[in-house]
Amino acid sequence: MNPKLLLKSGMIALSLMSASVASAADIVKWNAAGGEEEEALKLEPDLENGMDVFEVCSACHLTEGWGEKTGTFPQIAGQHRNVLIKQLADIRAGNRDNPTMYPFSLPESIGDAQALADVTAYIAKLPMNPDWGKGPWPPGTPEYAKGEKLFKDNCVKCHKAHGEGDNEKFYPKIQGQHYKYMLRQFEWIRDGKRRNANPDMMKQIKNFSDDDMKKVINWVTHQKVDPKLLAPSKDWVNPDFAD
Amino acid sequence: MKNKTFALAAATLALAISGAVQAGGAELYQSKTCWSCHGKDAKSPVLPIYPKLAGQNEAYLLNQMKDIKSGTRNNGQSAAMKGVMGMVNEAEMAEIAKWLAGLK
Repeated sequence: MNPKLLLKSGMIALSLMSASVASAADIVKWNAAGGEEEEALKLEPDLENGMDVFEVCSACHLTEGWGEKTGTFPQIAGQHRNVLIKQLADIRAGNRDNPTMYPFSLPESIGDAQALADVTAYIAKLPMNPDWGKGPWPPGTPEYAKGEKLFKDNCVKCHKAHGEGDNEKFYPKIQGQHYKYMLRQFEWIRDGKRRNANPDMMKQIKNFSDDDMKKVINWVTHQKVDPKLLAPSKDWVNPDFAD
Repeated sequence: MKNKTFALAAATLALAISGAVQAGGAELYQSKTCWSCHGKDAKSPVLPIYPKLAGQNEAYLLNQMKDIKSGTRNNGQSAAMKGVMGMVNEAEMAEIAKWLAGLK
């Protein structure tokens, strides 16, 4: 290995280590101004380049951006653009632990702040998977009803009435997201493991039991998504990547 | 990006020509997202600190996959791989290991 490459890999290894040893005590100031997030938000997105950049993302999130029902990879298609910019910028700045995604978020893999602006514009416009992973309790069950009450009492102020979220405020759209992915993130946010979570949410859910968590997320997964945001069927393929 | 696409296509073609491709393992290597990090040809990892897998010993590959999934191995960057191992069962690991070991 040549010395330059060795140095580069050493630096990456160090940054990976520092990203993974950060503890719950290092919770970052939520959405602090500045950094690449602010830079990307101001740039005019180039959708054509966004499509090129997305090829890297598609290896895991799939060419449709629909992720996996197993919850390993989230659905990112149709997510609010500001949310996508914040999360990408946070992951590559080491503010959100995500060792699987970290190398793909780096400038060497996808490019600079302009690339963030471009790829997020592309992803936000992708139609969502109409067949996302749902929780086990359909409407009419007592578990669904309990989840509804929990959601109305705790979540609607930010995530809105049916989990629509809020682009302007960087609150994610959670309707249409895979059940198992949300369970993991909720747990990590509650237990301080995600690190870039909104402190108001951490406070709001700190007394949620695992049982409450399952019920409230179950309810979200049974909410309807605006049909205009959905792909026509679960068999839809992204024409930009169909050969 | 275009160059990269070409390189990936060429690598895939090279694999097809070498005749070492066994359908099950090759498909799993893609669908379980192994290739995202270890490279489409299993010898061009995304970071130099990730291993090349092509031609590695089958039994060794299988053991690492099992140990990373179970958490028995948790050093280095195994945390990055543990996240995806939930999608891979033991029979699938065996297919992938066999296929990787057969690559030149």
